[in-house]
Amino acid sequence: MSSKNHRSHNAQEVLSRLGKKLSRQIAGSMVACVHCGMCTNSCHYVLANPGDPTYAPAYKADRIRKLFKRHYDWTGRVFPWWVKAGSVFSDEDLEELKDTVFGKCTNCRRCSVNCPMGVDLATFNRMARGLLVSVGIMPEGVAVVSKDQWEIGNQMGVLKEDYLDTLDWMSEELQAELDDPAVAIPVDKPDCEIVYSINPREVKYDPRTISDAAKIFYFAGENWTMPSEGWDMTNFGLFSGDDDLGGAVARRLFEKVSELRGKKLVISECGHGYRSTRCEGPNWAKFDVPFEMESSIITMLRYLKEGRIHVDKTRNSEPVTFHDSCNNARSCGMFEEPRELLRLVTTDFREMYPNRAENFCCTGGGGAMSMSEYTPRRLKSAVVKANQLKATGAKVVVTSCHNCVDGLNDLIRHYKLDMRVTQLVNLVANALVVPARVAVPAGGPPEIPGEAVEAFAAERPVLADRTIVVADDEPDQVTLLATIFEDHGATVYRAYSGDEALEAARSRKPDLLTLDLAMPGRPAAEVFEMLRKDAGLVDLKICVRSERPELRQTIYEQAVRPPEGYLDKPVDEQSLLRSVRKILELAH
Amino acid sequence: METKPLGGKQIEVDEDGFIQDPGAWDEAVAKDLAVTEGVNDMSENHWKVVNYLRNYYLEFQMAPMIRKLCKETGFKLKEIYDMFPSGPAKGACKVAGLPKPTGCV
Repeated sequence: MSSKNHRSHNAQEVLSRLGKKLSRQIAGSMVACVHCGMCTNSCHYVLANPGDPTYAPAYKADRIRKLFKRHYDWTGRVFPWWVKAGSVFSDEDLEELKDTVFGKCTNCRRCSVNCPMGVDLATFNRMARGLLVSVGIMPEGVAVVSKDQWEIGNQMGVLKEDYLDTLDWMSEELQAELDDPAVAIPVDKPDCEIVYSINPREVKYDPRTISDAAKIFYFAGENWTMPSEGWDMTNFGLFSGDDDLGGAVARRLFEKVSELRGKKLVISECGHGYRSTRCEGPNWAKFDVPFEMESSIITMLRYLKEGRIHVDKTRNSEPVTFHDSCNNARSCGMFEEPRELLRLVTTDFREMYPNRAENFCCTGGGGAMSMSEYTPRRLKSAVVKANQLKATGAKVVVTSCHNCVDGLNDLIRHYKLDMRVTQLVNLVANALVVPARVAVPAGGPPEIPGEAVEAFAAERPVLADRTIVVADDEPDQVTLLATIFEDHGATVYRAYSGDEALEAARSRKPDLLTLDLAMPGRPAAEVFEMLRKDAGLVDLKICVRSERPELRQTIYEQAVRPPEGYLDKPVDEQSLLRSVRKILELAH
Repeated sequence: METKPLGGKQIEVDEDGFIQDPGAWDEAVAKDLAVTEGVNDMSENHWKVVNYLRNYYLEFQMAPMIRKLCKETGFKLKEIYDMFPSGPAKGACKVAGLPKPTGCV
């Protein structure tokens, strides 16, 4: 290779731009790989193509790493043969690189979380995509969508009047469905609690998710609006690696919400949109975001916990499983909230294995659904996901990402599985109990009669006749929780270690046990498993508690029924009581 | 790009099964495409949707919004989904001989 010294303009451009992209994170990932092979079996492409080493994450990474070694790392100048330094010379070389970075990796980051050296392949795979895009080399689908997002302001080229017309249409449909002229989708209302943003596919092809969300906001009595512009929270910049596009798209949304003085931007169920808007957008756009941002999953869960909406979960009685989107879960840490919500609105939830951070890609990630040229590969690699789905025995797979919806739909059809795909918003709307209409002042929120309100108002303490074991090694924490529970009528037993918790649970047969996850002695995961496997404690409800959310995973990894709830530390009295009552009063 | 036998002809389709040349489309092709989308019997209503999509595409070179489709054909959203189980974007558009819709679909 070194004898070649003529480079195409594009190849030269890619190499010089590479130097500008070397952040500490990327440089670290370039040098840290020791080729141990831990990543190999974490990749769904590898598992579906065991005979093809070109799918191995370390191999794919080396296609990019060799450029860094050759051009930016001293080791590649001194002993290039040893560190496998290499270069690109022609546009054909770049096409080959395109095939790897767009066609053999969905940037799902499963290898990244399984790398003992902390190499984040997805991050520099994305960087490599960006380098190619900067010289115009990319799959056609990516080019078309990026162009629409640049020029029209949303990824499906939806015009403003069509968007507004569709929102009107959904308002009318809702009014007819609920026989209630007050229900509507407000547009550009200033000073709202919530500004709601969506994926263009919702408005272009399937606005049922918009009307479902509108219904939920309406019955929650929310002061909300949708923006007339900048409403697209998806961002092809994440997939194409083009930070400028990423910044431009995010900025449009941020500026519109700021202009409307919205207090919170709520992002509908879309994995890459959530990550792009909430996690990456402010950096790409260099925008100091003056409002909060939240996934609609959290919003819906909040409404239920606060008693603002009520559901009848028996309306969703088919067996369901949950597919973690890579962007929501692995990249943004949203593991428990969708499950908590799912348990509140469905009767038969079954975990898929592996799950959470270890879940496998839907195979449609990283923009793969827009790259038809790689569809046969995608569907072949989907055998991993298909087997995972089949093993759950569920009829419905729920996911909070539109890419996952499409990836899963495609593979379900290809592998002839008897399943359908849906989203949380559809399930919540389906289970929503429409409160009896009460006279309200025009424009005011509807009153929500419900058991919760009545119970609070009643004389009887809310935790009367309840027995609770509080397990925590910190005496202050035990005292705090015990006092609150006792004040509300519960009988409380205190435990200061895992063994004491086991002993108290067995002798006192409590209704609920709160389990701190960081006690010395017997590990909490083991205590939890022993409690679950104890034949005398089948009715025991367990609420795990920790100030380190990552510890929850040790609990959820146990092959036993997961805990009924979890509490973060610190906790205030009202939310503690609300959570505990929810666990005790709602059948799981 | 591969070719597939559709409506008695060999027709070029992309990897997702969308035909590449709208000129190659006819009713026999549509019927065969419909079977791949779980529609074994094309009713009069199915044709109404498909013809609207095709004419819109020939005029504007893009798929219409679902809003337009419902307004112009008079069908409710639910009826469209009942007719084409794989939805308007992938199902109905494919049968109407449109290329694969772009973006997150």
